[in-house]
Amino acid sequence: MAQKESKNLLNKILKNKFYPVIFLALIVFIAVVLLMYVNNITRVRIIQQREAKIVSQLKNIFPDMEKYELKDDIYIILKNNQTIGYSFIAKGKGYGGEINTLVGINKDFTIKEIVVLSNSETPGLGTRITLSSFTDQFKGLKPADVVLSKEGGKVDAITGATISSRAVTESVKKELDKNIEIIKKNNY
Amino acid sequence: MESQELKEKVSAKKFVQELAKGIILTNPVFVLVLGLCPTLAVTTSVNNALGMGAGVIFVLLGSNLIISIIRKVTPVMVRIPVFIVVIASFVTILSLVFEAYIPPLYESLGIYLPLIVVNCIILGRAEVFASKNPIIYSIADGLGAGLGFTLSLIIISFLREVLGTGSLVIFGKHLFSIPVLSSSPLSVFIMPPGAFIIIALLMAFFRLIGVLKNE
Amino acid sequence: MNSLLTIFLSLVLINNFILSKFLGLCPFFGVSKKLSNAISMGAAVTLVMLLASIATGIIYNYILIPYKIQFMNIIIYILVIAALVQIVEIVIKRTNILLYNALGIYLPLITTNCAVLGITLINAQNNYSLLQSIVSALGGGLGFTLMLIIMSAIRERNELADTPKSMKGLPIAFIIAALLSLAFMGFNGLL
Repeated sequence: MAQKESKNLLNKILKNKFYPVIFLALIVFIAVVLLMYVNNITRVRIIQQREAKIVSQLKNIFPDMEKYELKDDIYIILKNNQTIGYSFIAKGKGYGGEINTLVGINKDFTIKEIVVLSNSETPGLGTRITLSSFTDQFKGLKPADVVLSKEGGKVDAITGATISSRAVTESVKKELDKNIEIIKKNNY
Repeated sequence: MESQELKEKVSAKKFVQELAKGIILTNPVFVLVLGLCPTLAVTTSVNNALGMGAGVIFVLLGSNLIISIIRKVTPVMVRIPVFIVVIASFVTILSLVFEAYIPPLYESLGIYLPLIVVNCIILGRAEVFASKNPIIYSIADGLGAGLGFTLSLIIISFLREVLGTGSLVIFGKHLFSIPVLSSSPLSVFIMPPGAFIIIALLMAFFRLIGVLKNE
Repeated sequence: MNSLLTIFLSLVLINNFILSKFLGLCPFFGVSKKLSNAISMGAAVTLVMLLASIATGIIYNYILIPYKIQFMNIIIYILVIAALVQIVEIVIKRTNILLYNALGIYLPLITTNCAVLGITLINAQNNYSLLQSIVSALGGGLGFTLMLIIMSAIRERNELADTPKSMKGLPIAFIIAALLSLAFMGFNGLL
């Protein structure tokens, strides 16, 4: 008897004309609660991952780094609470898309090292910009030298990948000039 | 007693049936031609293909399970939005978990990870099967379609990676290199045109050997 | 680099939705056999992409970011798109029944078109402003429509050609797409 009654009740609910909307709202509510829960659990870990990624990239260039500060999109590299260098990301328009280069400079504003972070260049040709045979050229360069050698500077372009080489070189120079101004102005 | 045993025997066989059909007979990529977008985009390496495959299996299992559980109380009128909310929730969970625990995979899958939500395979299985069948078979169906999808991804990405880079690298471990190919690989296969070519040739091949029907 | 023209052109030619990003493939291979269908389909998808980019652009910039709930974007975006497609469907049905019939089942299927959700995700990924989102939707949609038109023109002619049995239908269509994709790669150095 009790079973039949509850079945009748269930049928009544299902046939109610507001039921579809209420059901959908209920599903959405459950979904939102569930997602907020999962987001809470993973949030800390996600932030850690992003932080770890930045730290590992900076440490690639500054192995002595102890911590860093971020001001005006410039990473100020610190050791023993002394500034040992600066770092920032240069974005350039390459052959296949955006090229992101991490630039590390010394306190005297010469380049310490550059690392090409991401690109969509032609595999085997343009992607050679990520190799040390290309990026090592930048080590120790003064800002004025960061120009392709065929245009009077000290950076030899990769044969067959002039556009990719130029994209890196020009974006690095642009960011370099811009950020040196900012550093000087604010005494970072 | 005897009829119950008979019922259980039938159900085990049916479980395997539903599972197997998703892998070959109604293979999502080569037969139903669904879920093309991620297939071509993600198969630049076997690594990515495995990651995407695992993700799709997770979402398929989850959504098929839930949709099958609530199938009797889901009003027909709002069923599509309900399916979408369920699928989108699983995809969001997948995305958060990948971002937190497997960042490299999360980054290389890019926008194709959230695009799992509109992968026709998942909505298709929900509408056609999970909303009308018992839980245990819905699980089998989801698992089968997911495995079939992953299998197709592996075949395509294997060909693209080996031809396009000359070597195979999975989970950071360099598995092998083909000598002549790795020094001058056929990079076209890693790029978009190559994806189209490979899937065209594979489809034609499957038709030739009789696994697929001609048009 | 973020100039509107660059965004627009790069989506039409360089990062073409179909030939380079593989978004919107299902209707591409399904509908593209007749030229008239191709134009209608392309226009419908572009319209939805535009509306979706505006709606999700507003939601992203004014709700998701301020309240730090970006992770809800997947579920919110797809529900917004589903609602928009419903509305567009009703509007087309009321104003142009011929178009409605021509598009058929492919109209509601725009909801699951990777191109629509794709453009909203691209806008979020690149942190586009509302204006940039609109331009990128137009670029993506135009690129998509362009491909649909080119593809349908080629396939109409190809129907008359002598294709090997196993390549008939989809495989040869994929090869055509491959050749188009290869050709369009020539635009890479444009910008």
